Amino acid sequence: MSDDTPPPETPPGDASPSNQQPAPHPVRAALPPLIESRILDEVTHGGQTGFIVRTPDQRAILEHLRFEQNFEFLKDITAIDFLGRDTIERFQVVYVLYRIPDKLNIRLHAWLPEEVESVPSVVDLWDSARWSERETHDMFGIVFDGNPDLRRLLMPEDFPAFPLLKDYPLKGRGERRQFPLVRPRGNEMVEDAPLPYPVSIGRGMHTPEYVEEVQRESKPRKK
Amino acid sequence: MGLESMIGGEGFLTTKINDLVNWGRKNALWPMPFGTACCAIEMMATFSGRYDISRFGAEVVRFTPRQSDLLIVSGRICLKMMPVLQKIYRQMPEPKWVISMGACASCGGVFDTYTMIQGVDQFIPVDVYVPGCPPRPESLLDAVFEVQKIVSGEKLDSGKHGS
Ligand code: SF4
Repeated sequence: MSDDTPPPETPPGDASPSNQQPAPHPVRAALPPLIESRILDEVTHGGQTGFIVRTPDQRAILEHLRFEQNFEFLKDITAIDFLGRDTIERFQVVYVLYRIPDKLNIRLHAWLPEEVESVPSVVDLWDSARWSERETHDMFGIVFDGNPDLRRLLMPEDFPAFPLLKDYPLKGRGERRQFPLVRPRGNEMVEDAPLPYPVSIGRGMHTPEYVEEVQRESKPRKK
Repeated sequence: MGLESMIGGEGFLTTKINDLVNWGRKNALWPMPFGTACCAIEMMATFSGRYDISRFGAEVVRFTPRQSDLLIVSGRICLKMMPVLQKIYRQMPEPKWVISMGACASCGGVFDTYTMIQGVDQFIPVDVYVPGCPPRPESLLDAVFEVQKIVSGEKLDSGKHGS
């Protein structure tokens, strides 16, 4: 909105780069320079600001936001899978923070390479991270180092996949057919044997054909 | 008014034991509501006064499978719920019948995803399916009539239902 009406003292058509650079967000300005320099980018959408970093730099920023800037509420932790997109890494781990006195939302996006299995847990900073991290682990297979109870949260404990990965098919790989048929026969209930369980396909264990197809269709990553 | 007036006189009645048992069973179905989603709301409406399933003898809703003989599966069944449903079905004493209510329980409905069971009839026997999303209470009442028809056709010595 503010770009539509340039300030009157600036002649039109002479927008220098410094004019397009907005003032740093107050939260960002309050970060120590050593930490602040690790922020790659800043995005604002819907009045909410997000900082983009690489793992594991987010840990230092989160610690600072928690203890120095008093973000006492961790709303959510989630992740995004950018498989097949033109991004620097495959995953983003997203932290949504909230400061109650001035109702300020801040997001922190941490790029997570596909090869890296784990990110540091923030359970010691916010207790509410326990279940958020469990859910993110359940859906994406990301391991949160230091979470004391990283079991599956939504899916059955023996579920063989991480369903929100982009290379996991929407209809699953046959997990939903893995139950015996129970039916009465005479005085007893009999169970027909279930179908064999599908091959375990954890993170990085998808079928070679699928990986090939995805790689063919995706643009190369900029590193 | 009731049976007595038909019997009349000395109070004797000749019938087949099969018909008598089936008559008793079909007019006193005890439903076990397995409501997991929006269809359960219509099921509750069916049980309540406006539609009043008790007009057809099926008002004794039991939340324990041990005391019921009609399982009404109403709602989405997901991967984690299917073992529970099977356990409840096994715990019901014979004879027992199953209504699969709504599109989700019968075939997965619009939820064709990794965690949704695409029809409970893959894993437990279903006697009557009720189409709809959600089915109207009248449809569920009609399904109860269908179950009653099935019950009145049961044979005591058929080997089915634990006899
Ligand atoms: S069939 Fe429709 S009303 Fe019934 S559980 Fe499914 S979505 Fe809900």
